Amino acid sequence: MASLADIKGAGLGLKRELIPQIQSRYQSPEISNIHFLEIAPENWIGAGGKSAHDLAWFVERYPIVCHGLCLSLGGIKPLNTDFLKQVKTFMAEHQIPLYTEHLSYCGDTQGLLYDLLPIPFTEEAVKYVAARVRQAQDVLGQRIGIENASFYAAAPISEMDEITFLKAVLNEADCLLHLDINNIYVNSVNFNFDAHAFLRQIPKEKIVYAHIAGHLQVKPDLLVDTHGEDIIDPVWALLDEAYSLFGTFPTLLERDTNIPALVELLSEVNKITEFQARYSATQKAA
Amino acid sequence: MLTFQQYQAQFTAHIRNPQANKKPARVVDSRMAVYREIVFNNIFASVSACFPVCRQILGARAWRQLVRGFFAEHGSETPFFREIPAQFLKYLDTQPIAEHLKQLAHYEWAELHVSTIHAETPPLSVQTNLLNERPILNPAHLLLEYDYPVHMLSKRHKTVEPESTHILMYRNDAFEIKFIVLNAITYQLLNQIQQHAISGKQALLQIAQTINHLQLETIVEFGQQILQDLLQQDAIVGSQALKI
Repeated sequence: MASLADIKGAGLGLKRELIPQIQSRYQSPEISNIHFLEIAPENWIGAGGKSAHDLAWFVERYPIVCHGLCLSLGGIKPLNTDFLKQVKTFMAEHQIPLYTEHLSYCGDTQGLLYDLLPIPFTEEAVKYVAARVRQAQDVLGQRIGIENASFYAAAPISEMDEITFLKAVLNEADCLLHLDINNIYVNSVNFNFDAHAFLRQIPKEKIVYAHIAGHLQVKPDLLVDTHGEDIIDPVWALLDEAYSLFGTFPTLLERDTNIPALVELLSEVNKITEFQARYSATQKAA
Repeated sequence: MLTFQQYQAQFTAHIRNPQANKKPARVVDSRMAVYREIVFNNIFASVSACFPVCRQILGARAWRQLVRGFFAEHGSETPFFREIPAQFLKYLDTQPIAEHLKQLAHYEWAELHVSTIHAETPPLSVQTNLLNERPILNPAHLLLEYDYPVHMLSKRHKTVEPESTHILMYRNDAFEIKFIVLNAITYQLLNQIQQHAISGKQALLQIAQTINHLQLETIVEFGQQILQDLLQQDAIVGSQALKI
C-alpha cells in the first residue's frame, strides 16, 4: 500500500508512449532513479482495455500520484463532486495517496474548455477558490495539493501579485502546495518578475512535491508551458535554489508533447536525483 | 456573479468565439491570442484524432469549421478526455451534414469506444456448446447498424449508396479492435443471444420462424457454422448454461 511517504526522490509523468519502454526496463539500474509516477485521473478513471491492464501493472510496481486537469477549482459551475467521488474511489482502489490540481479554471457556464485558464488575483477569488479547495478536501477526506499554474495573460482587475494570491489560497484552504518550478520561471518571463524572489516567498512547509519541465520560447518575453522541450538551465538553477532554501522534496519530470525516447528523459530524471543527493549530503553534514 | 467571474466569463466567451465576443477590457491582445490558439488547438486535436476518415472526406477547411462550431456552441461537462468525441457526435447531430457522414462519424467513434469500454467476461462453461447453451459475445463489443456501408467510405470513396449495414466491432485479448461485417440474419441472431437468455438453437429457430424458413435443420446447421466462426475469431468467447 503506497503512502505519502513513498512519494520520494525523482518521478516521471506516465505517458502512453513511455509505458512499453518502462515495462521493458523494469528493475534495470537504468531506470532505478524513477521512484514514482504521476497520472491524470481524467485519462484513467473508468477506462477499460489496455489502459486498465497497464494501470494494474504500474500500480503493483510504483507509487502513483493523481494530478488532475479538469476540476476547475476557480470555475463558475458548482464543483464536480460526482467526479471527486470517482477520484476518491479510484485512489482507494489503486492505493494512490495524493491528488493535486491546478490553481486555475477550465470552463464556464457553457461547459468545460479542457485547458488551464488564469484566475484573476483578487480577494474575492481567494475566498472563492479556497472554499472550493476545502470542499474538495471534504469530499476526498484528505488534503489536496494545488499547483501554481503557468499563464499568459494578466488580468487587469487583479489586486495582488501571483505569490500573494498563491499564499493566501494555501492559507485559507489549509491545503498542500504542488510546486511547479518551471511555471515560476515561465510566469517570471511572461510577466517580468524575479523568479528567485518569488521562490523565496514559498511557504516551504506546504510543499508536497514539485514539477519540473521544459517550455517553448515563442518570443523573448513569451514562454508557453508546452512540456515539450528539454529543461533549460535557468529552470535547473531555480530547482537548485529551491533545494538549498527548503531542503529536498520529491520532484517529477513532466513531458507531455514532443516526447523523446525514455533514455533521453532519463538524463533529466537522473539530474534531479543528482541535485537531491547533493543537498541530502549537505543536510546530513550540517 | 462575482467580479472576477464576470471577467472569466468574458475571457472564455472570447476564446470560444472571438468574432462574436470582445475580449475583456485592457487585456493585452497578443497574450489573449495565446489562449485563442491553444485552447482551440487542444480540442481540435482531441476531436480530429478520433475521426480521421470524416476529416479527409469533408476536407481540412470544412472540418476545421465544424470543430470551430463545436468549440463555440457546444457545452461538454465530462471531465474525461476520451469522452470528448462522443460530445462531438452530439453536436454533429444538430448540424446540416450528410447522413452518411454522421453515421461514419459514429462508426469512427465506436472504435475508440470499444478500445476503452470496461468489460468483464461472465463465468463460462468449461465445454463450449453454442447450440444448447447461450453463446456469449466478447463483452468488449458493439453491435452496430447503419443505413450506409460506412466501412466502405474513405478519401477515395466519399459517397456511398444507402444500404442496410451491420457490423460487429470488438476488442480481442491483444487489445486489437476487430470488425466483422454481418448479414442481417446474423445481426439478428447476435442481438437475440445478447439480449435474451436463450440457447443458440432457440435463437436460430426463432429466426427461422420470422423469415418463414421451412427447413429448420438447414437454418440450425448454417447458424451453428456462423457461431463457430465467430468463436474462432474471439467475437464469441464461450457459452453459458441456461438457468432452468
